[in-house]
Amino acid sequence: MYKPLRIGFIGAGNMAFGIAKGMLSGNVLPVNIKVSAPSSRNMKRFQEVGISVTHSNAEVVCGSDVVFVAVKPHLVRLVLSEISQYVTKKHIVVSVAAGVTLSVLEELLPENSIVIRLMPNLPCLVQEGALLFTRGANAKQEHGDVLRSLLHCCGLVEEGPEAWIDIHTGLSGSGVAFVYLFAEALAEGAVKMGMPSSLAHSIASQTVLGAGRLLRDSGKHPAQLRSEVCTPGGTTIYGLHTLEQGGLRASVMSAVESATERARELGSK
Amino acid sequence: MSVGFIGAGQLAQALVRGFSVAGVIATHRITASSPDTELPTVQQLRKMGVNFTTSNKETVNKSDVLFLAVKPHIIPFVLDEIGPDIEDRHLIVSCAAGVTISSIEKKLQQYRSSPKVMRCMTNTPVVVREGATVYATGTHAEVEDGKLLEQLMASVGYCTEVEEDLIDAVTGLSGSGPAYAFLAVDALADGGVKMGLPRRLAVRLGAQALLGAARMLLDSEQHPGQLKDNVCSPGGATIHALHVMESGGFRSLLINAVEASCVRTRELQFLADQEKISSAAIKKTTLDKVLQQPGVTAETVSVRNRGISMFNSSNPKIKKN
Repeated sequence: MYKPLRIGFIGAGNMAFGIAKGMLSGNVLPVNIKVSAPSSRNMKRFQEVGISVTHSNAEVVCGSDVVFVAVKPHLVRLVLSEISQYVTKKHIVVSVAAGVTLSVLEELLPENSIVIRLMPNLPCLVQEGALLFTRGANAKQEHGDVLRSLLHCCGLVEEGPEAWIDIHTGLSGSGVAFVYLFAEALAEGAVKMGMPSSLAHSIASQTVLGAGRLLRDSGKHPAQLRSEVCTPGGTTIYGLHTLEQGGLRASVMSAVESATERARELGSK
Repeated sequence: MSVGFIGAGQLAQALVRGFSVAGVIATHRITASSPDTELPTVQQLRKMGVNFTTSNKETVNKSDVLFLAVKPHIIPFVLDEIGPDIEDRHLIVSCAAGVTISSIEKKLQQYRSSPKVMRCMTNTPVVVREGATVYATGTHAEVEDGKLLEQLMASVGYCTEVEEDLIDAVTGLSGSGPAYAFLAVDALADGGVKMGLPRRLAVRLGAQALLGAARMLLDSEQHPGQLKDNVCSPGGATIHALHVMESGGFRSLLINAVEASCVRTRELQFLADQEKISSAAIKKTTLDKVLQQPGVTAETVSVRNRGISMFNSSNPKIKKN
């Protein structure tokens, strides 16, 4: 008889909630999800969608096939030490903790544990995340496939070697903040030119969203899309020239570089 | 069909060389004239079998398609000189940057009611048949005239018709473009030399890299941004170099350069339209030589004490048709 996968979350923060919501809009039933956290603070939103909650991490591990470790990075060691005794060869342990490497995770869990490291990003909250996962020593292709099938409604899901996780952090984890900065600046430019702030902000966010969707869905290279918007001698090329003079491209490349290097630094501590 | 060049400098030489290699016209059917017989380009033209003369009138009489290949500020003198000899068959093609079709037509209409004028902007690589040429058609030029010019210029590279108001932008981009490329190759070669390559090899490789990339781009449907991506392996050498270029504002530099060249072209045209250039602005030797030509007098080229009028159409000595 077909047994549906049981999903557990240790930690009830934003990332856990975003991923859980994504799963629910896929083919996972709320009854098959359980969440644990020390305080009841964040539990209400899970309960509202039919997910059961507990204060016992052990209960979550024993009652799940796939366990998401969604606590803050500095709590990971503590949590894994606690639950290690309950983790079996059948479990898939998925960590979303930034900077905690596969080798650290595997060291804290029983030998031969199936471990996957996942780096999501904030827009998982609205099922438009960019998620990159990397498989530990004992995680096979089919374990990756299980994770993919659980996460596909959270956004874009890709696999890669562990070395790419830090780059993904810089690009897409921090990248979200870079986009917010850009959107804020767009709005301020409009305010400077005379538009009321709240209107400028809502138009700026829609502009970013719309451009993003076109970029993702058109399959075209961003340079191609950019060229298509630029009428000869028109407004866009004038604005772009100003951006180029401001060295925006180089700044953005450097920003991704800085964030990636910091992720590497943090991961090596 | 015969082709004539008023002016026997770099442009005339480059076009003649290109036409000759392309086989689109035999050099003995080409005439070129200049007051200065000492120019190195004159020797080259003679060597190629072109009929060289010091008389612009002779060039006009022997040609059907007449290229005005002199510096912009010389154009008005030339037009006044050859105006009386222009016939219905003549197609006047001005290659002078910033000189408008209407200013040329206005001048020639003192002598002929419907002068056939075209304006083209080409560039030096016509000499190796890789020119970039655009042309605009004047009021009285026919469709066949455009086709004829296009046939000639397409034999030495890319050629297309445009609206006249785009020619300044073309000047900024492909007119000046080869200079940007020479600068780039020179600097790339410096980079090569710095990293240990012998100069000759560095120049050769730099030029070939640009040539090859341009060929790939012209042959491809893809956006240059995509082609750039195709060269950049993750974490590799090229992407590191590109970051350096972006940090240096490479893209905006190029945009600024094209803009500066285009703006300067417009400025020069504006100065010309103002119809006033000081005689000091015109090389005295050139003017003297122009004045030495048979049939040319100071009155016919409207030299006045207070300055030289570029497009004075009120000279009483010129008979109207």
